[in-house]
Amino acid sequence: MPLGTLDRRPPPFFHQGPSALTRLAVFSAVALFLMAADTRFAVTRPLRAGLAMLLLPLERALEVPMEVTRASGEYVGGLHAAQADLSRAQLALTAQSAKAARVDTLTAENNRLRALVDLKPALVVKSMAAEVLYEASDPFSRKIFIDRGASQGVVPGAPVIDESGVLGQVTRVYPLSSEVTLLIDKEAAIPVLNTRTHQRSAAFGADGAALELRFMAGNADVRVGDLLQTSGVDGIYPPGLDVAKVVKVDPRADSSFARIALVPTASADGVRHVLVLEPMAMQLPARPEPEPEAPLPKGQRPIRGTRK
Amino acid sequence: MEHRGADQLLLPVNPLFLWFSLFAALVFNMLPLGRIAALPDMLALVLVFWNVHQPRRVGIGAAFFFGLLMDVHQGAVLGQHAEAYTLLSFLAITMHRRLLWFGLTEQALQILPVFIVAHAVSLVVRLLSSGSFPGWTMLLAPLFEAMLWPAVSWLLLAPQRRAPDRDANRPL
Repeated sequence: MPLGTLDRRPPPFFHQGPSALTRLAVFSAVALFLMAADTRFAVTRPLRAGLAMLLLPLERALEVPMEVTRASGEYVGGLHAAQADLSRAQLALTAQSAKAARVDTLTAENNRLRALVDLKPALVVKSMAAEVLYEASDPFSRKIFIDRGASQGVVPGAPVIDESGVLGQVTRVYPLSSEVTLLIDKEAAIPVLNTRTHQRSAAFGADGAALELRFMAGNADVRVGDLLQTSGVDGIYPPGLDVAKVVKVDPRADSSFARIALVPTASADGVRHVLVLEPMAMQLPARPEPEPEAPLPKGQRPIRGTRK
Repeated sequence: MEHRGADQLLLPVNPLFLWFSLFAALVFNMLPLGRIAALPDMLALVLVFWNVHQPRRVGIGAAFFFGLLMDVHQGAVLGQHAEAYTLLSFLAITMHRRLLWFGLTEQALQILPVFIVAHAVSLVVRLLSSGSFPGWTMLLAPLFEAMLWPAVSWLLLAPQRRAPDRDANRPL
């Protein structure tokens, strides 16, 4: 064996740097600080955006092999699937065209009626198409990443929909991509309106790709099959978008609230293209500033305020 | 042939290969395969491997940085993977002198608790910061990682096992 093929440098005896335990302590402390800073304050946002920019080319490149496998699968499955899709799409189009024609006349009529009673015109929601980059493989949450970010005008909190209903909400915005938290995430909540009874309530994400309607009385008028739409009271989601259907109502005896399970109308699995809407609050007039309190005369104490 | 790390004199590691293998593991973790709780964390596996075999080249700092990348990619709490990988790397470095005296199967058995600890740290961090429980299949992930240890060891040590003098009659 020729000399020089082995690593013949002696290991350093003195210049070994800090011990492994010291390094563990330091990096754990930094990690703990980052966790606290990330959940409580906004200081880690630039760091996150920078790393996201670093990873974006890689994420885009990884889309290619997935696209190729999908395309080859479709190529083999081929013609029949395409024809079935086409006939289904045409059926849907026929069903929708009748509705669309009615919508035009109704919109015109609605505008006239609104003008008659001097109501403000209904808000027009601006939207932007986006492509899904990937679904987060994080098993603890339900998130997808889309290829539109702050530089294309995506704002945090923007609703995200697909053709069958609300998918979720933008929770983090990076320069060229953004993170969408789905409605079925445990952290997500959305105000809804029951289209049958016109009762307002709030739906929350639950385990197992489902939502639940919380804080509904045990005898509330909710039936299996009821369609829930956005109510528009939150100033984020425009009213009238499909959210979920009731699949199970369980009036529990041990609690005053019923357990109501919902299934979202928009399924996040296999979604490729989504629409990012502008939050409604950006179009509403700004809230009036509260009037500055007049300085109190001497000797008088403010009415509100905590006393010890 | 017995697989004893001390038996065969290994060639020095090529740093390029070392960092490329870490990058490849990162790419594997980033493949959009969907949410599978039992999917083994290849990056953790390769990090532990290099921490055991080359603790002077890949240390706790590298593990921390790769953890941050995973956090940003998954949209997780910043620091969750970083903390898990830091701990993983520390445990690997503390056992690296002992581990290489054993055969590959025994190594896998000894490395299993390290992966379990790392996954447990991730779980605790996420449940504290209001994540949802991913289901019991996540218990399989550290098991799969330990089962992959012999394969990964064989693959990543292969370049160092080549003969130092090339011979036209011998392919490797």
